[in-house]
Amino acid sequence: MSKKRSILALILALILTLSFGFTLTGCGDDSGSKTSDPPANTDTPPTDAPPTDAPPTDDPPPSEDVPKSDVTLTYIIDRDTDQAGSKAVMERFTEITGIKFEEELRPGGAEGETLLKTRFATGDAPDFIWFNSGSLLATLDPVRNLVDLSSQSYMSKLQESYKQTVSMDGKVFGIPGRTSMGGGWLYNKKLHDDLGLTVPTSWSALIDNCQKAKDAGKTAVIGSYSDSWTAQLIPLADYANLAAVAPNFAADFDAERATYAGTPAAVRSFEKLAEINEKGFMNADYLATTYDLALEMLVKGDGLYYPMLTFALDGIVGNWPDEIDNIGLFAQPADDAANTALTVWMPDGWYACQGSDHFDEVNRFFEFYLSEEAQGILANKSSGNGPSVVAGAPSSPNVYQAVKEMQPYFDAGKTAPAIEFITSVKGPNLPQICVEVGSGMTTPAKGAANYDQDVEKERLQQE
Amino acid sequence: MNKKVKKLVIEIVAVILVLAIFGIPFYYIVINSFKTRAGAAQMSLGFPEEFAAVENYETAITTQNYMVATGFLNSVIITLGTVVLLILVCSMGGFILQRRRSKLTTFANFLSLVGLMIPPAIVPTIRVLQTIGVFKSLFGMVLVAAALQIPFTLMLYRAFMSTIPKEIDEAALIDGCGRLRHFFMIIFPLLKPVTATVTVLAAVNVFNDFVNPLYFLPGAKNVTVQLTMYNFYGKFASSWNLLMANVVLISLPPLLLFIFFSKRIVSGMVSGAIKG
Repeated sequence: MSKKRSILALILALILTLSFGFTLTGCGDDSGSKTSDPPANTDTPPTDAPPTDAPPTDDPPPSEDVPKSDVTLTYIIDRDTDQAGSKAVMERFTEITGIKFEEELRPGGAEGETLLKTRFATGDAPDFIWFNSGSLLATLDPVRNLVDLSSQSYMSKLQESYKQTVSMDGKVFGIPGRTSMGGGWLYNKKLHDDLGLTVPTSWSALIDNCQKAKDAGKTAVIGSYSDSWTAQLIPLADYANLAAVAPNFAADFDAERATYAGTPAAVRSFEKLAEINEKGFMNADYLATTYDLALEMLVKGDGLYYPMLTFALDGIVGNWPDEIDNIGLFAQPADDAANTALTVWMPDGWYACQGSDHFDEVNRFFEFYLSEEAQGILANKSSGNGPSVVAGAPSSPNVYQAVKEMQPYFDAGKTAPAIEFITSVKGPNLPQICVEVGSGMTTPAKGAANYDQDVEKERLQQE
Repeated sequence: MNKKVKKLVIEIVAVILVLAIFGIPFYYIVINSFKTRAGAAQMSLGFPEEFAAVENYETAITTQNYMVATGFLNSVIITLGTVVLLILVCSMGGFILQRRRSKLTTFANFLSLVGLMIPPAIVPTIRVLQTIGVFKSLFGMVLVAAALQIPFTLMLYRAFMSTIPKEIDEAALIDGCGRLRHFFMIIFPLLKPVTATVTVLAAVNVFNDFVNPLYFLPGAKNVTVQLTMYNFYGKFASSWNLLMANVVLISLPPLLLFIFFSKRIVSGMVSGAIKG
């Protein structure tokens, strides 16, 4: 009995050590082959033995007379933006080339970033992804994980201001997936007219308007701090005004030569946020109101103003299609009317991943995406939240009223990209800091100092 | 009489509480799945002004090439596989670990407790799955899900084993019962109550798991039911009506299962309690 058992134990131990050794060597093998040859089995069913049979899917580069290809491109996307336009472009592209697409969903926000980072770290990235431009892109370590597109011919179609937001170390990584958008104050036009108000161009005029609305028993400014990201809008949308007064602030801030707390014009952005609360312009339950409810208040005329990005228009048109022309937009006013400018958010877009076997096809898709035909499809499918950053892109036949009201700022050259597209870091706790300042829990100066600290920590993390 | 009234009041309060805690959220989900998109965006408990139930459910089912159906199939396979694997491995493991006292079993006990305490690391786990070639497959997902549940399940089985008298083993061996037969014919049937508990706990856990399939089972063909909810939910534009319809769809099967099986499960638990 005991002899049997000891033999058994021996065999078990043997198996264990063997399998352990095997996994170790297997691991080394895998990482070794990765450098010489991209992992072949990313989209073949993993039940097959992994390597050896890479060639079958590896067709020769598609030539002009054999346009149909049976490649399927995989991509990862979140559900935060309406994709009707890009879906239609993909369908058309499949019609032309035979290249198919396979979509994978990811969560939005920080969890989605973690997911992408995991996929990159395990060598299991898709062929291309949808992601933010600006400082958020840095979290993906684009130099290591994404493909440099700067030498592609279609790059010349893109606006320089957009390209800056998807560049790092002189390399350009992305193409815009949609139009840019504006951040400003959405307002209910009918209520605005009923109260006899005019669009304010200076901060004091805005305050006067709010006071009148308040006296008339209306909510002047809708606050929706239950979704804390909405609280950031006033400080963020103030950046174009700040840039008009302190043009070098963003560059100095990025080079750690300037701080929010040490720049009076920057603290002013937080002061505006606090002022709205101090004067009691917001709805009584602004701490519990959600973004969805806030949109409803704006549309139904319960509230006059809602500081927001123009992608909210897609949400409004989805729920209340008849009311969309009743919503207007103006840039957040500066103290001096001459300085009032519109803050612009650069679009999210597509990025090609390194390690993909099908970069040629991805590249063809990107080229097609920026072509006139595809941009036309995009414009027809979605109304757009602002001007396009692609040169020569046709504008949509049914532009929202609020987007039309953005155009004068562009025509007059009174726009600036939001600061998160210029600097390489954005403090992740800005929403919480804005809620604190916007509800009177801390002073604007203290809030600005807190944000500086937050950015400092983020910088340390990225190094 | 007084006692009876008191009891009645307590019972009524309890029922109302249960209704409030479980009933209202469920009612909220169901009623919102009947509304139009604008109606559901109000997030109210009110009755729908405009019914769109048929359209909602139709859209929820057909979105993305019947993604919900694929998700169902995958989730059911994963859940079944995990539960079977868990029961098989942990019942045997619990039996040995409880019955034998040696250095090896003490060490194994310690290891299983470690498994309870240390959270799984994602990247190394994926590496291991890639190395053995089961990453992105349902089988790999079953392995991961089972591995995550083993420590707890093992603990349940071990604890329950100690209530089964050793004399039964001795009687079986004396009567000339072989080892396999001893376990499968005599011990395993006695473990039925705890097996029922494990089935319910593990099935619900695995079926409702969101994060693990997200990381360990990527790929458009590999969706599980919980991931289908992302079809309708985004930070800036959500179709709450469709989301709620989806939630109803994916929570109905477990609910029905539980309603039909609850009698069995509960009776199994009770019978075990007396026997022990």
